[in-house]
Amino acid sequence: MKLKNLGVLAAVAAMAFSACNNTPAASGGTSNKGTVTFAIELPQQGSEKAASDPIINGIKLAVTQAGGAAGGYTIQIPQSAIYDDALNGAHDAQTGANNMSKVVADAATIAVIGPLNSSVAQAEIPITSAAGLAQCSPANTNPDLTKGAPAAQLRGGKPNNYIRVVTTDDVQGPAASQYIYTTLGKHSVYIIDDTETFGKGVADAFEKDFVARGGTVTKHDGAPKTTQDYVTLMTAAASGHPDAIYFGGVTATGGARILLAAAQAGLGDVPFVGPDGINDGSAVTKDSFLNLAGDKAAHSFSTLAGIGTFDGKAKFDADYLAAYGTAATGYAAQGYACAQVFIDALGRAGATNPADMTALREAVRVAATDTTHTYNTIQGAITFNADGDTSQKIVSIYSFDPTAKDWKFETQVDYAAK
Amino acid sequence: MTTVAVAGRRSNPASRFLRIAFFAVVAIVIYQLVLFIALQQTWLVGTSALPADQAFPVAVQQTINALSIGAIYALIALGYTMVYGIIELINFAHGDVFMVGAFLSMFVTLGIFGQTVGVSVTDIPFLILLLASALIIVMPLTGLLNVTIERIFYRPFRGGSRLAPLITAVGVSFILQNLALVFVGSGDRGAPQVFPLEWQIKFGEAKISVLSIFIFALAVSLMVALNLFVNKTRLGRAMRATAQDQQAASLMGVDLNQTIALTFLLGGALAGAAGVVWGLRFGYVRQDLGFNAGLKSFTSAVLGGIGNINGAALGGFFIGFTENLASALGFSRWSEFLVFLILTFVLIFRPTGILGQQLGDRA
Repeated sequence: MKLKNLGVLAAVAAMAFSACNNTPAASGGTSNKGTVTFAIELPQQGSEKAASDPIINGIKLAVTQAGGAAGGYTIQIPQSAIYDDALNGAHDAQTGANNMSKVVADAATIAVIGPLNSSVAQAEIPITSAAGLAQCSPANTNPDLTKGAPAAQLRGGKPNNYIRVVTTDDVQGPAASQYIYTTLGKHSVYIIDDTETFGKGVADAFEKDFVARGGTVTKHDGAPKTTQDYVTLMTAAASGHPDAIYFGGVTATGGARILLAAAQAGLGDVPFVGPDGINDGSAVTKDSFLNLAGDKAAHSFSTLAGIGTFDGKAKFDADYLAAYGTAATGYAAQGYACAQVFIDALGRAGATNPADMTALREAVRVAATDTTHTYNTIQGAITFNADGDTSQKIVSIYSFDPTAKDWKFETQVDYAAK
Repeated sequence: MTTVAVAGRRSNPASRFLRIAFFAVVAIVIYQLVLFIALQQTWLVGTSALPADQAFPVAVQQTINALSIGAIYALIALGYTMVYGIIELINFAHGDVFMVGAFLSMFVTLGIFGQTVGVSVTDIPFLILLLASALIIVMPLTGLLNVTIERIFYRPFRGGSRLAPLITAVGVSFILQNLALVFVGSGDRGAPQVFPLEWQIKFGEAKISVLSIFIFALAVSLMVALNLFVNKTRLGRAMRATAQDQQAASLMGVDLNQTIALTFLLGGALAGAAGVVWGLRFGYVRQDLGFNAGLKSFTSAVLGGIGNINGAALGGFFIGFTENLASALGFSRWSEFLVFLILTFVLIFRPTGILGQQLGDRA
């Protein structure tokens, strides 16, 4: 625990140095208007640490590469502004809400990036919305966070402050469905979800699409993360002779446990497909799906609710590797994109010369949620609609690569036209 | 009259064992029939209803699954019930002792024998050596852990208020969980499933995994051994005497501290054995594993009649079968509801549990 923190501290120290060195050059002679903070709010324990670390690295990389400044302000991400919403090893909505109260109370914080989980975002958006603080999630995919009456309730009558650079589960689920039905050619599927906001949501969206395509759902089970005996469930599932298994959930709520039990119940050779919740790093990443599944992951597939390959990916991967010594995985590019959006917004907000930090915070929120502005992010040019959803509705599909023991990019599906 | 009956039963343990075995087999066959019929009912399981020829093997396999998880619950429940029987303490930390056992077993297979996650051992002598070593190393360690907990946290409260040790037990549970959090972290940890899962016995269409049989056989052997120990040895008699009346037992020359420590040692060792088989069966361990498993096992102990060793074993299997029934029929969301509903009704109509409490004179 201690050692890991030291590593992060070292990274921050390096960041601070590079920020100091770069600031004068980047701000190009304009007088420094002060220092602002980008806060980060992500779960950093257990299997979710494996998903959050690349995002944090991606954010820091974006800020460093932008010269650590925008709009005449110096941007800093102090360790004290990186919040952890995990409690006893898994994300916790109440902890996230408490963190967000601290984030909005800090006057220098003009934007926050996070959280990882939709259930946490549900608890946080009312707080950031009330404070008028711009929030960008690199990973939340639940549609109710931005659309319709549920989203309006979260905002509590305030103008929108929440944007996200990933697409939603009503696209992520169908993308997996299309892949299983068309590409893999499997027409009967067993569905199991973890009964949580994200897991059940994506599994339901998957089921709807799979049935609409003419596929058969042998059974749709819900197994909360406290389930003890997955072998019994999988024995029952095997009796329906499904051609594929779809899991709605994350590694922390049972992804690998279900796969291991399925292998035991005779479903070991059936494709096992899951959402971004199981795309959490290679087999050497502690706590990741592939780490726990071992060789049983041979027939596993996962999706990411974001673009998988883009112009400049090679450079991004190389820069990331050079900066952190590990390959960029999961939502690293999405973390980078969130930071880019806020750097861009801060640049435009700074140009309006806000009177004080409160005015700057509001100016950044207005700039970030501007539906007419096109952001040139690492993932390509994107705009946000009035709900805060990205125009880029791309889901990428990954398969298990047994030699690299890591997720391998297969293809990406663009849903923007649909 | 009662005395004669008890004496008669005591004089013939072999026939008693046969009678229990007979009832167990009858119960298992009835469960299989219920499951076999239920799996075919469209009104109950909807579109996943199976034709008779497919329902039969599934019913057999599910029954075996129920015996496996029931055996694990039963092994843990024994520790709860023995401790309650002797000092009337609900040892909330017991589930976490099981969790520690599961981790220790993981360390033995990973560390000492250098096994890797996802690879099984097909060399039978080596497998036997591995499993035997895991049990021989883990069981005494969890037993000693339980004794240490008793010595440090519970003994100072003995004879005083019952509430203080109860709260302390909750505290010890958190201490163990948090220690695990510090030392091994919070996520799932892969436990090597060294027992080959592809070893199966064909029973008609049904495939019964040898691992399930191993788990069940191990649990039953340990329970029989415990029963013989408690009923046939001097130390066992001391335990029973202490459970009935501490003061009188003490006056008769029973060393209370030693006897209570022995109870914790046995309970902890059984939880350790449960931890070993958990890893083999489910392939993962995590630091909060003990909470849920402990809750289910504690429920098993209450259901069977707390303080009653046979009751705890019965309760463990009962909970295992109930959960299995819910999951097998596609009502996994409802399995905990069902377990606690049954518990509630049993306690309303039979407050002392299925087999009744055995608390000696104080009950």
